[in-house]
Amino acid sequence: MSKIAVKVDDLTVAYNYKPVLWDIDLEIPEGVLMAIVGPNGAGKSTLIKSILGILKPIAGSVSIYGKPYTKQRQLVAYVPQKGSVDWDFPTTALDVVLMGTYGSLGWIKRPGQKEKKAALEALEKVGMLAFKGRQISQLSGGQQQRIFLARALVQNASIYFMDEPFQGVDATTEIAIINILKELRKAGKTVIVVHHDLQTVPEYFDWVTFLNVKKIATGPVKDIFNDDNLTKTYGINYKVSIQE
Amino acid sequence: MSSAQIEIQLIASIVAVACAIPGTFLVLRKMAMISDAISHSILPGIVVGFFITQDLNSPLLILLAALTGIITVVLVEYIQKTGLVKEDTAIGLVFPALFSIGVILIAKNANDVHLDVDAVLLGELAFAPFDRLLTGGTDVGPKSLWVVGSILIVTVTLLILFFKELKVSTFDKGLAASLGFSPAIIHYGLMSISSVTTVGAFDAVGAILVVALMIAPAAAAYLLTTDLKKMLALAIIFGIFSAVFGYWVAHWLDASIAGSITTVLGLVFLLVYLFAPSKGIIAVMYRERQQQTEVSLLTFLLHLKNHDELEERHVNHLNEHINWQKVRAKTVLDLAQKNNMITIEKNIVSLTKKGNEFTSKAINYIMTNEDTQIEDMKDDFFLFRG
Repeated sequence: MSKIAVKVDDLTVAYNYKPVLWDIDLEIPEGVLMAIVGPNGAGKSTLIKSILGILKPIAGSVSIYGKPYTKQRQLVAYVPQKGSVDWDFPTTALDVVLMGTYGSLGWIKRPGQKEKKAALEALEKVGMLAFKGRQISQLSGGQQQRIFLARALVQNASIYFMDEPFQGVDATTEIAIINILKELRKAGKTVIVVHHDLQTVPEYFDWVTFLNVKKIATGPVKDIFNDDNLTKTYGINYKVSIQE
Repeated sequence: MSSAQIEIQLIASIVAVACAIPGTFLVLRKMAMISDAISHSILPGIVVGFFITQDLNSPLLILLAALTGIITVVLVEYIQKTGLVKEDTAIGLVFPALFSIGVILIAKNANDVHLDVDAVLLGELAFAPFDRLLTGGTDVGPKSLWVVGSILIVTVTLLILFFKELKVSTFDKGLAASLGFSPAIIHYGLMSISSVTTVGAFDAVGAILVVALMIAPAAAAYLLTTDLKKMLALAIIFGIFSAVFGYWVAHWLDASIAGSITTVLGLVFLLVYLFAPSKGIIAVMYRERQQQTEVSLLTFLLHLKNHDELEERHVNHLNEHINWQKVRAKTVLDLAQKNNMITIEKNIVSLTKKGNEFTSKAINYIMTNEDTQIEDMKDDFFLFRG
């Protein structure tokens, strides 16, 4: 059994005293490419945000490699939903990617040549180097998502959390992104993705967590991605044929 | 220019710069209305502070009043969090309540001191040079110059130190939080600076002008640039220009300085709003017109590509076939010819090689939405710029 990268114990999160996540226990092994699936309002984004300390849970705890998140920030990179930011913000693609280096810099220190070089490399990796000076509102949805991915890559983390990275992107970008995620897994990183398209789960991921306010199931896709768990999660009869 | 005139312009300019800096971030955070709320609700803080200190320029008064500003923000957020009312409603509930407490306090207790509602709303910049700061008997300048000057130094220092943190938390709160830059600390830091600046500027320029100085220069700058540093610089320049020019307008018209500066700010914004090169109203209208013509051009080229029959390609039949008015048809024909996309022989229109390639590429882009192949077309055609 490999090491546990992320461990969630008895996590309960509420908005205005209404629980959106209820008593979640979850262990994510190191080196998996995991999808979190569930219907709208199941608490998928909330789970990620609570692990990252963006939301404060009312009960439970989270650890990253055995320590609290606040001690392990350097190990974690986060890609929020594309729609969570204002793309009319006056800044360039390169500058957004540079923001990924802010965490390792800490307060007050500014990014220098080293950080800039890393940001340019990340842009190249996602095929966006030609757009480095482009104002971010002038990028297409797929390009914006690639910029976000580059910003996470530049953090050079061990664990990547991504909130719906395939939302509103074209097919080419989706393939480009999933290839980069698979490369990350190959390099031993752990990648956790909030995902909507059930059809692509078996093709893209090797690990899956079913979530609907409570945790329904978690484990290897080949073992637990079945009609039974899908029905439990989505509440209707689901038939998904898994390609071998 | 007398020294009083220079001092007034200097105070107005410093206030303008001190307001433009937090104002830029308020505009980007879509929190412009909060500056209005703060500027009004600090009144009870000023009044209470004045009862305690008996000095409108005392640092204690400024801190007390700034605290009322923070209380406003906290109250607004608290009411909003209950989910019963929206943010703008919460703002509209909180600041009149606090402001009216201040108004009543003044009316009841401060009738015979230099603090009245008119001065609070509009300020009295013209009197600023009369209140001097004396150290050991020497006159070192107007008190308010020292007050706003100190505030500006603090603001600029904080901006330089925390520029990166302000930027990331304004653009992406979630990322800032996950990286360990607490958005709450930065938010309340910005609110504190906005409150202190408002209080410091308040005595000199009044509640309404403070809001104008925070929002108008930043809003105008936003329309002109796509770079945060340039936006800050432009907001500062607009602020100083309006302060100085507004002063002279007031001088020529023999009118209120605060009112004149605000008017100039409004005019600066109006000009930028109309004439900004890419985001201005005129540029946007021009672009939409161009796009309309380009869509027509593409429709026309596609028609030619799909039809080999001579009668479909006869000049006179075009307006019938694609249902266009004569003028429109002529504009499109001219545009296509100018770009060497068509040739007209004996009134029969044919696609050139260039026109043919262009049409295929454009259609391919519209169908696949892949814009890597059409980068070179973006410079010539608005249609492909997203």
